[in-house]
Amino acid sequence: MLTETVDAVVIGTGAGGAPLLARLAAAGLKVVALEAGKHWNPATDFATDEKSQEKLFWNDERLSAGNDPLPFGSNNSGTGVGGSTLHYTAYTPRAQPDDLQLRTDFGVGEDWPLGFDQLEPYYDEVEQFLGVSGPSPYPWGPTRKRAYALGPLPINGAGQLMERGCKTLGIKTSPAANAALSAGYYQEGVGHRPACANRGFCQAGCTIGAKASMDVTYIPLAIHHGAEIRPESFVTQLVQDASGRISEVIYIRNGQEERQRCRFVFLCAGTVETARLLLMNNLANSSGQVGRNLMAHTGLQIWGEFEEDVRPYKGIPGALISEDTHRPKQADFAGGYLLQSIGVMPLTYISQMARARGIWGQDLKRAALAYNHVAGINILGDCLPYEQNYLELSDEKDIRGLPKPRIYFSNGDNEKRMTAHADKIMRDIWDAAGAKNVWAFPRNAHVIGTCRMGTDPAKAVVNPDGQSFDIPNLFISDNSTFPSALSVNPALTIMALSLRTADRFLEKYK
Amino acid sequence: MHYPEGTVRSLLNTNQVTKATRQALTERLTSPAYQPQFFSASEFALLQAICDRLLPQEADDKPIDIAGGIDKRLFQNESDGWRYDTMPADGDAYKLGLAGVEETAQLFFQQAFQQLAGSQQDDVLLNIQRSVAPGKTWEHLPAGRFFEELLTEATHIYYSHPLAQEAIGYVGMADVPTWQRISLNELEDREPRKVNG
Repeated sequence: MLTETVDAVVIGTGAGGAPLLARLAAAGLKVVALEAGKHWNPATDFATDEKSQEKLFWNDERLSAGNDPLPFGSNNSGTGVGGSTLHYTAYTPRAQPDDLQLRTDFGVGEDWPLGFDQLEPYYDEVEQFLGVSGPSPYPWGPTRKRAYALGPLPINGAGQLMERGCKTLGIKTSPAANAALSAGYYQEGVGHRPACANRGFCQAGCTIGAKASMDVTYIPLAIHHGAEIRPESFVTQLVQDASGRISEVIYIRNGQEERQRCRFVFLCAGTVETARLLLMNNLANSSGQVGRNLMAHTGLQIWGEFEEDVRPYKGIPGALISEDTHRPKQADFAGGYLLQSIGVMPLTYISQMARARGIWGQDLKRAALAYNHVAGINILGDCLPYEQNYLELSDEKDIRGLPKPRIYFSNGDNEKRMTAHADKIMRDIWDAAGAKNVWAFPRNAHVIGTCRMGTDPAKAVVNPDGQSFDIPNLFISDNSTFPSALSVNPALTIMALSLRTADRFLEKYK
Repeated sequence: MHYPEGTVRSLLNTNQVTKATRQALTERLTSPAYQPQFFSASEFALLQAICDRLLPQEADDKPIDIAGGIDKRLFQNESDGWRYDTMPADGDAYKLGLAGVEETAQLFFQQAFQQLAGSQQDDVLLNIQRSVAPGKTWEHLPAGRFFEELLTEATHIYYSHPLAQEAIGYVGMADVPTWQRISLNELEDREPRKVNG
């Protein structure tokens, strides 16, 4: 194996790596995926218990700096075959066309170097393949060419309450699109997956495979087509040959250094690890942009307590959506956001309440006792790139002796104005729905950027096909390449872009 | 108003809970008394006293061991994936913070924290939480952040315990039969109802 040269090494098996891996394998390429985490067996390895599922988070310590330091771990990063999709909430709205042209529309931020028409066929393909459940018609954005693969999932208590509040205020709502099956689903090369059991545990691992994490969708498809997955393989070096191409990938497995020679490398390790690996190896950074343009969605949550029994551990956590706030009229900010109802598991809810509200003693125990009666609304909103937000290597070393990443993040005026706008709307919705003891959890989710795609090699790290300007056989496929943050959850777009990158690559190099 | 006792414990022995779930929760429920390995005996006792104020527990023969959970994590050098850049490494932050609590207690009341009345202990902690506590320690350690991190971790450990989950009426672990009744005010038979008294 040491001397064999494979066609491609894919680093990371999450939303950026897995679809592409399957595509390259299906095209007959010899591909190897290196994944830092384990290959879990959901049925036996995943307890319905938040603490024991902490093993799914990327728990190597990152240093969070700036005025609004970003939490990592459970907030936004996963480990294991499937990457962060092991614990995403499977919320899969599409971006809208204007999300890709913030600069054109508002004079701030960046346009994407590709249009919605480039993504749409891939959105459609990914939705059908994953078996996304959603409404037809979907009320916002361009008319869809096909209905979602399955009808929407049932609306849980939090969704019903948000619907009630929104109705009073004249805000349009709809069941959300979720990559969790509302009915059994069969896919060639993958097999049968059962319908969602409403166990509400999407922010941790799904035990039955109803949630479309990569380990039960694109990874089995990739294996079906001959891809090899090497779990517990942590990549440390990309070795360049005399011509400047990456000829070899070095990784640590079982404490031993191993090497894999290859013709092409696809780096799909996510916003933080992708940039960190490039910075550690001093690669692909002639623009000086690696680690720059870091963004994180505005993610304000407003929680309230209700008379009704909500039991927020049941049903898909993000059941109801509104995109009426996508481009609000008379807004004093660029871009926009979506609203979604949220259910929540107790440990997540009570610990974040303690952190955000700072309550303790009997006050904390009283507030925790209300758990079965709480419901939340969450936004995900655009975030502009700023000079002050970036990733660098610190002097502090991790357990492997590698520099820990330090991430600076401060919300800018645009994010603050957007959050204030959303705060008012969400409080109004909860007031109308009859909430008591309403409280806000200000947060940022979904770290994005650091290896921007663009057409100008002086300002971007990769071209619109995900190919490094500096190293022609190096491609990046993950949320690090997003030129803007989008006003929706990133997973579906990461997957769509992953397939597009694979197709563009195959057209050119196969 | 409270939830009935024993709900989680009785579900654990049924086929409504997966083997992996039963194992995780039973381990926590039956874990033997923990001896500190990271903290010194006096640091550990102080941490226990602080946790008793953050999450007061009824006089019980077997309280939920929050301080033990913190010690175990630090001894095993485990991280939750991130740290405030303004804070020292977790273990150093805890040792420094405990010294700070003691220092503030002495400056306020000329007594050790553990000798103080509950309301005085709360006074010390509240001043630390608000970053206005006196003491040289807090010149090196952001008091508010220390408190925030300690409170969050203590809360996390406490509510991961099956007995604390019983107290808030959570039975999400019993998911094998699936949840079919998920609308407002719709409860399955195995979901506990609040009782008076």
